[in-house]
Amino acid sequence: MLVWFIYDIVEDKIRKRLSDKAIEQGLYRVQMSVFLGNIDNNLLDELVVYAEEMINPDEDSVYVFPMCQDDFRKVELLGQAFDKAMINDEISSLFL
Amino acid sequence: MYDKNYISITPSEVIEYLYCPRFIYFMSYLKIPQHESNRFKVIMGREVHKTKANINKNYLRKKIGVKDKFIDQKLYSKKYKIHGIVDEVLFLEDGSAASLDYKFAKYKDKTFSTHKYQAVMYSMLIEENFNIRVDKAFIVYVRSKNLLKEFKIDKNQYSKVKEIIDEIIQIIKKGYFPKRTKYKRRCPDCTYRNICIE
Repeated sequence: MLVWFIYDIVEDKIRKRLSDKAIEQGLYRVQMSVFLGNIDNNLLDELVVYAEEMINPDEDSVYVFPMCQDDFRKVELLGQAFDKAMINDEISSLFL
Repeated sequence: MYDKNYISITPSEVIEYLYCPRFIYFMSYLKIPQHESNRFKVIMGREVHKTKANINKNYLRKKIGVKDKFIDQKLYSKKYKIHGIVDEVLFLEDGSAASLDYKFAKYKDKTFSTHKYQAVMYSMLIEENFNIRVDKAFIVYVRSKNLLKEFKIDKNQYSKVKEIIDEIIQIIKKGYFPKRTKYKRRCPDCTYRNICIE
């Protein structure tokens, strides 16, 4: 499933832990607090449970937006854009 | 005397077998640990079990007709070659008994077959150990506000479970390498994905 994982977290330590977890689960960092990627349901669920445990619900916010492939194709990128094929797992290996 | 060739299966092993038969080969025959305790959801689930076993020990769910219960009951069946710990064994007013299992999961409009098989195994254990009739089982979905779901125990499933147990014992005893699950989408999330072959 293609999802956007976005957060706004006050405490540095918690923010770092959550970003590490998002990367560990296979998401790509698009901006500082914005992640995107093709993720298995169970791994996403684990990330959500982890976020639920970590955040302070009175101050922080975490959003998970699923996105269908049709809509992803319509995404417009300006400026420092990310690689759409990589996010969508269309590139299986990367040679630098 | 202790017989080292004697194998007893747990409901978790049956669940893992249903997820993918190769799990048993890697975990119980090659004895490669799957390190599932590194998974956050597993840690959280275990915490929930600990809490549930410690709070409201005397609370009986009267709405579903419970008159007595045992918490964290270890049971063993020589007949079926299975053993396991039932979260709660409930004794009901109608003279029957039922298992109650806490799941750190959300209810998704259906009861998964793995959960059903687990409940069937618990029922087999309860029937044999307490010599009592078991017609139904309960599951509490902790992440859906402790939603309680009841379902009937189908006796036809006993023979299906027995078949699965025999297959698991074959894999463990003979080390035969089973075919992997036909659902390939399970593979990316499998703890043995790095060592499993096509």
